[in-house]
Amino acid sequence: MRAHSTLTRRLLASTVPVALLLGLGVSPGLADPLIGTKFNSYGLPGGIDTPTAEMLPDATLSATLNYSDLARKNALVFQILPRLTVALRYARFDSQANGVSQSRDYIWDRSFDLRYQFLDENPNGWMPAVAIGLQDFMGTGYYSAEYLVATKTINPRLRVSAGLGWGRLAQSGDIGSPFGDRPGPDEEEGGKPNTDQWFKGDMAPFVSATWQATEKLALTAEYSGDNYACETGIAEDCARDVWLSDKDELKNHINLGASYQWGQNYQLGAYLLGGRQLGLQFSVAMDSSQAPYPSGIEKAPAPVRPRPSPSADPEGWSGAWSADPTAQPAIQKVLSDALDKEGQTLESMSLDANRAEVRIRNRRYMQHSQAIGRTARLMTRALPPSVETLVITTSADGLPTSSVTVRRSDVERLENSEAGQIAAAAQLTDADPRPGNLTFTEGLFPRFSWAVKPYLSTSIFDPDEPFRYEIGAEAVAEYEFTPGLVVSGTVRQRVLGTTEQEGPGSLSAEEYEALDTDYASNGVPRVRSDSRMYSGNDSPTIPRLTLAWYAKPTETVYSRVTVGLLERAYGGASTEVLWWPTNSSLALGAELNRVKKRDFRDVFGFRDYEVTTGHVSAYYQFTDGIRAQLDVGQYLAGDKGATITVERQFANGWRVGAWASKTDLSDEDFGEGSFDKGVSISIPLGWGTGEPSLRRVGGDIRSLSRDGGSKLRVDGRLYDKVRDSQSGQLYQGWGRFWR
Amino acid sequence: MSGTKMRFMLGAAALAMLSACGNVDSDEGSIPGLLAEAARQSVAQRNRTEVAEKVSPSDMAATALRVNKGPLILVGLENAATTQVLAMTGENSGQRTYMTTNEQAIILRDGMLAGTRGLGHDLSVAEMAPSSALIRSGRSGQANRVMRYWTGDGLERPLRLECSIGPGPKAGVILESCKNGPLEIQNNYIVQGGRVTVSRQWIGPDLGYVTIQELRP
Repeated sequence: MRAHSTLTRRLLASTVPVALLLGLGVSPGLADPLIGTKFNSYGLPGGIDTPTAEMLPDATLSATLNYSDLARKNALVFQILPRLTVALRYARFDSQANGVSQSRDYIWDRSFDLRYQFLDENPNGWMPAVAIGLQDFMGTGYYSAEYLVATKTINPRLRVSAGLGWGRLAQSGDIGSPFGDRPGPDEEEGGKPNTDQWFKGDMAPFVSATWQATEKLALTAEYSGDNYACETGIAEDCARDVWLSDKDELKNHINLGASYQWGQNYQLGAYLLGGRQLGLQFSVAMDSSQAPYPSGIEKAPAPVRPRPSPSADPEGWSGAWSADPTAQPAIQKVLSDALDKEGQTLESMSLDANRAEVRIRNRRYMQHSQAIGRTARLMTRALPPSVETLVITTSADGLPTSSVTVRRSDVERLENSEAGQIAAAAQLTDADPRPGNLTFTEGLFPRFSWAVKPYLSTSIFDPDEPFRYEIGAEAVAEYEFTPGLVVSGTVRQRVLGTTEQEGPGSLSAEEYEALDTDYASNGVPRVRSDSRMYSGNDSPTIPRLTLAWYAKPTETVYSRVTVGLLERAYGGASTEVLWWPTNSSLALGAELNRVKKRDFRDVFGFRDYEVTTGHVSAYYQFTDGIRAQLDVGQYLAGDKGATITVERQFANGWRVGAWASKTDLSDEDFGEGSFDKGVSISIPLGWGTGEPSLRRVGGDIRSLSRDGGSKLRVDGRLYDKVRDSQSGQLYQGWGRFWR
Repeated sequence: MSGTKMRFMLGAAALAMLSACGNVDSDEGSIPGLLAEAARQSVAQRNRTEVAEKVSPSDMAATALRVNKGPLILVGLENAATTQVLAMTGENSGQRTYMTTNEQAIILRDGMLAGTRGLGHDLSVAEMAPSSALIRSGRSGQANRVMRYWTGDGLERPLRLECSIGPGPKAGVILESCKNGPLEIQNNYIVQGGRVTVSRQWIGPDLGYVTIQELRP
């Protein structure tokens, strides 16, 4: 089956969002932000170097590799909100030896951008789309610039943008400094927003035009105030002397470029900067709403079986069957088998003449509503006619979270209707932690599962070696005594790879071992900065081996106790409680851990460093899938502070977030970056394959080498365990109930 | 950010690359396992298409009628160029679910397409009662319908269509012509005894048209 029909392609090619076709229907266009298709050298929609006011389609992830003699820029860009674009860039530029960079004559530098489109284009009037942007707004600021830009669609083939830029965009051709002088770049630990520089200093205009020559080919011309001062050795326009290089100066301010759209996802671009420097770039964009198989290719659910009339089955309708002790075991067996085929485990069940409750574990569906919808249909097929009340309780690995109660006649009446109707007919409540009459499915517990498989672990963005990997074999095993009481562990054996054991900073492993300390020279405990010491082990390792007990003491409180080898670097005990009523946007939690640092090589050995770490946490679910989390407490290095996390989760399961931790450790003691922060992205595997699965790909991009603001990485934190079946996320993905 | 030494790690993404073993079922199985499964299925789908083309629809129908005693329909997906016999697996107040042997489903109400399951770009539900009433009673008129789809962003989204219904150029064939902006589609129906028995109906932007023929009511 082809991924996109001609119609869809045509709609996309004309940049009409598919939302117009499959959208709100009656309110087309006006409230939509202006969407751009051409990427600039920074990886955002734009001209060549200059920005435009354009956005990407909501939830689009793109990556751009840009190469010229002047720069190498690799950018990851995400449209986090319909009008807010964020960029994370990893760029290489030349630098003279400055005592910090030692032998390297270039720097790989991280930078962040934000762009917000605050005015929509009026397609029928003169009003352009207008956006404000911050480029490289934290830390070093090599590419730092701010801008205000307007973009107008002149005709379907031509778009023109004009704006005012500061910082890099105003290296030359300025028309004054309306907001005062621009202070110099941060030369200390960096990593903090350079608010004192924003919109300060020279201001210069820029203009760009992009002409869509054919459906695939676009030509761009622009006037830019960026004269690449540092790269080409123009000392008076370059913010720091150590950045000066000696490349050929640009002849003028005009840049010309062409880009070729290849399929729906790829774009190839070439451009000429100032009549002198040639550049090439390649972009790949993935719109998370354009899944290859949007509905999934999993098998159809078993249809609802309507009940026979009371006259046709008087015995079934009378409920007399419930007196027969063999009835429930037989029904439970049938239902359990049927659920198993649809990727769910029937953990336990209660059954009386009018009401049935099932406790299910969803092993397959990213949108939990799909698991519930399938269970409801199977219940109509398995249960005697007198059972009218169906209760479907989610068991999150043994934790009963929420219960969906629905009348069987509503399931029969509303089968395959718009999902909102069954949502209105169903009730979502906190699951009763210990109802008296539940019967476990026979043969389920104790449950043992195991697997032996290969693994690949990677580490990127290292300036010495940008990509490191390790391949090996891994055995995982899990033994669940009763629901929620689990022993689990992993054993790994490296086979080959480029990751090596290394000491912190520039120390070798041997040198660090010889120091025989767990503290840095400034007295800060080395809780993460020596994590490379755990790498490159040729003998078997045990990344994790724990006994965990998950429980639900009251209707709204969850608890966890985990003991053992909690993560690669720490072992000990971890405890947690979480208060979260199913229908509440607010959740509160507390975690307390006593851990000891593990030995670098001896799998069961420990080092001398021991610490108590823990947090109190507040979680809040806003609209549009946005959630925020605040943790306050003591971190692994004994430093006290807080972490703020903001994340957006989309109905299809994509998650993108960012966090920052600030503790009482000073910027100097923390070192490079000043405080801990990072971004995370998680993409459901099933989104790409169409096969339903709970698996995800992605990870965190974070500072690996710093000790401040670091948390224990224990598995099975409660919020993540229960979130899928709480009202916020359950209703967000409710549209799949009848899938 | 400042400084010269940057060390970052893309964590978590531990990908397995070879085959795996264990008693963990495929739902919790490895990523490559799932990818391999997806690839296998897509290959299988292609093979099935080729096989399907070799067997003529009439042979297929004859075999199915012999083997299966329940209601059957013959369904052709035009875009995928496949023809298959589907057997009824459920009936709920006039709504019939027909499935292929590999459990892909077409849902009909009185022969009118009401939904699909397992085709990758499924129609969740077609709300077409006004159209259905006109078509099955042989009357002409205007009717609106709403087609709902599961979209890649994880939602169920409506597509609203304005339709006009009337007799076609061929005797006995009723046309339903629908549009929404640039989108124009046309469904064709033959009605017998208040039920659509032969039809060509539009599923959605990606799946295109399906032909449905009732083999046994």
